[in-house]
Amino acid sequence: MEYVIVIYPTNRFVYIDGEKGGITNDVLRVSEGTHEFDLGNLKNYKPESQEVVVQGTTVIKPLEIVFFKKDR
Amino acid sequence: MGPRVVSCIAILVCALLQAACGTFPANPPLAKYDKSAGYRFDPLPDEADKRDEMFVILVFSGGGTRAAALSYGVMEALRDTRIQWQGQSASLLDEVDVISSISGGSFPAAYYALRGPRIFDEFPDKFLYRRVQSDLIRSALTPPNWFKLAGSSFGRSDLAAEFYDREVFGGGTYADVIAQHTRPFVILNATDLSTGAQFPFIQDQFDLLCSDLSGVKLARAAAASSAFPGGLTPLTFQNYAGTCDYRQPNWVEKAIKDHKSRLNASRTARADRRVAYTQTETDSKTNAVQPSRKYIHLTDGGVADNIGLREPLTAITSENNSWSVLTRINFKQVNKLVVIVVNAATNPAIKRDRTPKVPGLRDTVATVAGIPLDNYSFETLETLRATVKEFNNEMDLISGCKDLAANKGPQCTLDIPTPHQIEFFPVEVAFEYIQSDEDRNWFKNLPTSFELPRETVDRLRAVGRQILGEDPQFRKLMEELK
Repeated sequence: MEYVIVIYPTNRFVYIDGEKGGITNDVLRVSEGTHEFDLGNLKNYKPESQEVVVQGTTVIKPLEIVFFKKDR
Repeated sequence: MGPRVVSCIAILVCALLQAACGTFPANPPLAKYDKSAGYRFDPLPDEADKRDEMFVILVFSGGGTRAAALSYGVMEALRDTRIQWQGQSASLLDEVDVISSISGGSFPAAYYALRGPRIFDEFPDKFLYRRVQSDLIRSALTPPNWFKLAGSSFGRSDLAAEFYDREVFGGGTYADVIAQHTRPFVILNATDLSTGAQFPFIQDQFDLLCSDLSGVKLARAAAASSAFPGGLTPLTFQNYAGTCDYRQPNWVEKAIKDHKSRLNASRTARADRRVAYTQTETDSKTNAVQPSRKYIHLTDGGVADNIGLREPLTAITSENNSWSVLTRINFKQVNKLVVIVVNAATNPAIKRDRTPKVPGLRDTVATVAGIPLDNYSFETLETLRATVKEFNNEMDLISGCKDLAANKGPQCTLDIPTPHQIEFFPVEVAFEYIQSDEDRNWFKNLPTSFELPRETVDRLRAVGRQILGEDPQFRKLMEELK
């Protein structure tokens, strides 16, 4: 088991490999390997998606994946 | 009679024989892939859903009528177990979300999917007390069936499927199961003979073949799941890959990327297996695009996993699964996860080691074929225990860190964000947990057969209930649900 936390200023759905996988700012359990993270179709955030190799994390040291609000 | 007339008669006889020869009933093609249609687990709800707060998975192993009766006994016990849940009194059986089954265990599972609580009035006489094995042999020896069996694409399991369809499942198809819109989601598992991979009867798997599971009879699924190698033949399913605009889920491409880095090899293997079903090639003569594997041959689910636990373990530990429990946990929808494994494995007494005689070929081959399966079953159960431990260790680690920091002084208090915590109840119903030596040995020496004496079936039903009630994790769960 691996652990990630997708950081974003507000709470919204996290999509893992194109499927709903959790909520931003929660520690999420994921399987080891390459995954793509995004925040859904409302593209008011950046980057659009992040492909990340998730490995070697622990529950007390989850991988942080940061998304930002897009400037208007 | 001239040679021409003889030839004509010969051709006519051959044509008649050919017509009489059986061929497998093809699974229907899927017109267009639709990831929300067909026999699938409920989609993840957008709103908070309390239904999954306690997520219960039942797992029925293989083992012929022995497994069917033991599983049925556990179902009876769950039906009779009243719990207090979400302010109401309910039957624990009604809270079961998923059943995953193998071989003999697939019969009560499929029957429950089709007939719901009516299983308790109908199933014992329709299956458990029936001399199914004798009926199957009699059917194969009936002259009209000789012609059917003479066909190269119709085997003894096709005949068995016809028997189950007629005598047990009453023509029921997956469309009938879908129409009920109810849980549990029942997964009958067979084994792909060519790859050795588990083949679950769910639409997510049939999507790969561009085939519509709703048109498949439960009898064929049960027959494939229980096609014990040797006694019964594999069952053939047609692959229509490339005809329904199917798209693999995104994770498949990512997992294949991990080949080089050797990260999560089991995920990559699952991805590879999915891709293998969908590969197509162009016929050099007709230029028609066709699946590389036009036909899929399925044998007993026990060859890949005789417990039926591998598919649920993937759902518990991976988000890349069509009914991922892990995702539901991440969404904080699951607070209690209950996995009840009904394992009808035996361990017959062996006389071989009482003599210096060199074991014979038959004894050696039969034993050698079974040992890896038993070892794999052991490892599968160990994986369940390791998974439970992994979930439990998370909280131990976090609280350990917090305690260590707090010991340095109040200014060192840690605020560690934690994943959603669940209570995991792994329950195991197996003969090895029977207290009495005499009883345990008696059950562990039962044969694997599709017919057992009525009193043996009754003892299996009763012992299933007894072992469940004595399981420490089950007792703990009951304490909490009082």
